Amino acid sequence: MSRFKTWGVMLLSVMMVISLAACSGGSSGNNEGSSEGTNGEQQGSSNEGASTENVELSFWSLGTTNYEELAKEYTKEHPNITFKFQNTSDQTAHHANLTTALSAGSGAPDIFMLEIAFIERFINAQDKFYNLYDLGAKDVQGDYLDWKWKQATSVDGSFQLGLPTDVAPTVVYYRTDLAEAAGLPTDPQEFSAAINTWDKFAEVGKQFKDKTGKPFADLTDLVYNGLRDQSPNQIYFSKEDGSFIGDSNPQVKKAYDFTVKGIQEGWIGNWVLWSPEWNKAMNDGEFGVLLGPAWMAGTIRNAEDSSGKWQIAQMPEGAGNWGGSFLTLPKEGKHSKEAYEFISWLVNKENQLKSFKVSGLFPSIPAVYDDPAFKSEQDEFFSGQIIAEAYAEAAKSVQPVYYGPLHDQTDTIIKNALKNVLEKKADPAAEWEGAMKQIKTLVDRS
Amino acid sequence: MAEPAAAAAASYPATRKRLTEQRKSRLTAYLFISPFFVLFGIFGLYPILFTIYLSFYKWDALGPMRYVGFKNYELITSDPTFWISFSNTLIMGIMGTVPQIIVALLVAVMLNSALNKYKNIFRILFFMPNITSIVAVALVFSTMFGNNGMVNWLLNSLGLDSVPFNSGWWGVKIAISTMVMWRWMGYNAIIFLSGLQSIPTDIYEAARIDGASRSQQMLYITLPLLRPFILFVTLVSTIGALQLFTEPYVFLGQSGSGSTRQEGVTMVTYLYDEAFKNGFFGTAAATAVLLLIATIMFSLLNMLLSSRMGGERGGSKA
Repeated sequence: MSRFKTWGVMLLSVMMVISLAACSGGSSGNNEGSSEGTNGEQQGSSNEGASTENVELSFWSLGTTNYEELAKEYTKEHPNITFKFQNTSDQTAHHANLTTALSAGSGAPDIFMLEIAFIERFINAQDKFYNLYDLGAKDVQGDYLDWKWKQATSVDGSFQLGLPTDVAPTVVYYRTDLAEAAGLPTDPQEFSAAINTWDKFAEVGKQFKDKTGKPFADLTDLVYNGLRDQSPNQIYFSKEDGSFIGDSNPQVKKAYDFTVKGIQEGWIGNWVLWSPEWNKAMNDGEFGVLLGPAWMAGTIRNAEDSSGKWQIAQMPEGAGNWGGSFLTLPKEGKHSKEAYEFISWLVNKENQLKSFKVSGLFPSIPAVYDDPAFKSEQDEFFSGQIIAEAYAEAAKSVQPVYYGPLHDQTDTIIKNALKNVLEKKADPAAEWEGAMKQIKTLVDRS
Repeated sequence: MAEPAAAAAASYPATRKRLTEQRKSRLTAYLFISPFFVLFGIFGLYPILFTIYLSFYKWDALGPMRYVGFKNYELITSDPTFWISFSNTLIMGIMGTVPQIIVALLVAVMLNSALNKYKNIFRILFFMPNITSIVAVALVFSTMFGNNGMVNWLLNSLGLDSVPFNSGWWGVKIAISTMVMWRWMGYNAIIFLSGLQSIPTDIYEAARIDGASRSQQMLYITLPLLRPFILFVTLVSTIGALQLFTEPYVFLGQSGSGSTRQEGVTMVTYLYDEAFKNGFFGTAAATAVLLLIATIMFSLLNMLLSSRMGGERGGSKA
């Protein structure tokens, strides 16, 4: 008898080890701040058609948002629906975790916040996500900016991967004190007019450099982005068949050549994006303009000494868009109906307004732009300018564009070539050739 | 996996009349060591085998896998960036390891002889870099090696030109090697120090009586007797150098870019970018297999050299 007991214990321990090992392969990351449903306030769900069983929805969110607070509000109105959040700011890890979970077939959340730069990688995996058109997304499509909506639509238009969260139209952040020193207008309207074409931008850049001795623009990447994002419909990869067109797209070459011109004429600085000394230069007023999206305001606000010295002007020849996300529902989730109801609530008009106020997420619903609460707020940091208006104006001129799954890598290769021209005084033509060659070997592997 | 063993164990009483004592104790022993092998099988062996299997397929981790034979290996070996990553790894390995070991040795000798009073404090100080978060280290070094950072400011104040540490062929390597050196120098110094303390002092006394100078003592006593430690440190550093990842990844990835710059791409960053940024899991697996082969070759070379130099027992004939 005792012998059997020993064996039993042995077997049990082996089984436990195996099952433990099997479990730990699941979702990674720490589930911080799981918002527990407070059933304290029984309000009785007022909306009909919603199920009343208890549902916990897992939500992987990205970056700084107010979605956790909003989710708590939602739970108050729907006591049977609670949320478990996992938040990170590391984009690469965030999307790699989803890839892992999807390919393993377990561990994916009910709701996943997908960043635009990664969307092409997932849009073809339509068997892994719920089609939001099947859940009623057609009814709300008209509320959102058309170009934004289409970024998450399959090429044939039948599959909608996600609901838009925020958009990020690009604008020109400029230093009024330095503009004045360079003999430029300081009023946003007039400043925009002074740089409303790229040729004028280059002239102003030269003038600025001569007058102040400082570079006009901070770094190559952002100047390049400014022209790149004006490429109509597609940038590096063809919208039709996904083939590489970056070497023949005139706008790409134009963006490259213009940035090279800026380097050679000395009005582009040599800071590195996101580096501490770039932040310091922003703080100390070492350069004149920063071409960036709406959420860049958050970065600029960290440069506390420069408060009240910035204003926002419009991009030359039209704005682009950089960033913004979508809320998607991976197929592994069992509660697509409840999840869809929640996300359509989360990014509706009034909540987008809240997200803008709290976290600076610029709304993707144009109706918000006319909301008095939205467009009347003056921003002290930006010299009392009503910045929402400036962004709204930029957002209206953005055109939808196809990126392709390798956009980010391709872009990096070209930007590295530009950095070589700037930092190593390399020959621009040779660097361009080298970059194109590198991109082609990358494309061959895909 | 351990199920066969467990199943066999369970069915034994049924099939055999008696378990012999020997059999039973053997099985018990196997069961006791099984947790490690189960875990290793799941998290070690299986991924390795699956990587080798995957290297013959084309896969983006989401869609179906497609068999492509040796095409992944062809694509990798015909990609100039892969060979650049290979040579970068070797160059940075040498730049980060050779001076580091020499400095570590000098530091260890200094700690051993001079600073008797504060020895422990210095040990801790030298060991600190090793337990600091690499990401934090890389960020701090990024500000030092920035285009307008401290190092260039120093060079400029000495009347020299700025070095492009973010994009120069040597600049990037110098910056990354410096980080590696800073991180591992103290660790290796501590190992050398323990080696130095194992050398009997009477040998030095005898040498001094015979009139050996300090440098002669170093050359003819310290170095030969430290040989096994030097070989150990070299082997570990070599394997570490082949796996260099975090420093270049963080140092060159400040702008959240889609790939690591060619000047600083190492084999592991190449592999990582290939899998998790480009989504080419097949070619990434092929890279991993090639890296495995390279690591085995270097380790064999190391073992060959160390057995030649008598690494197993450092000249105890003295």
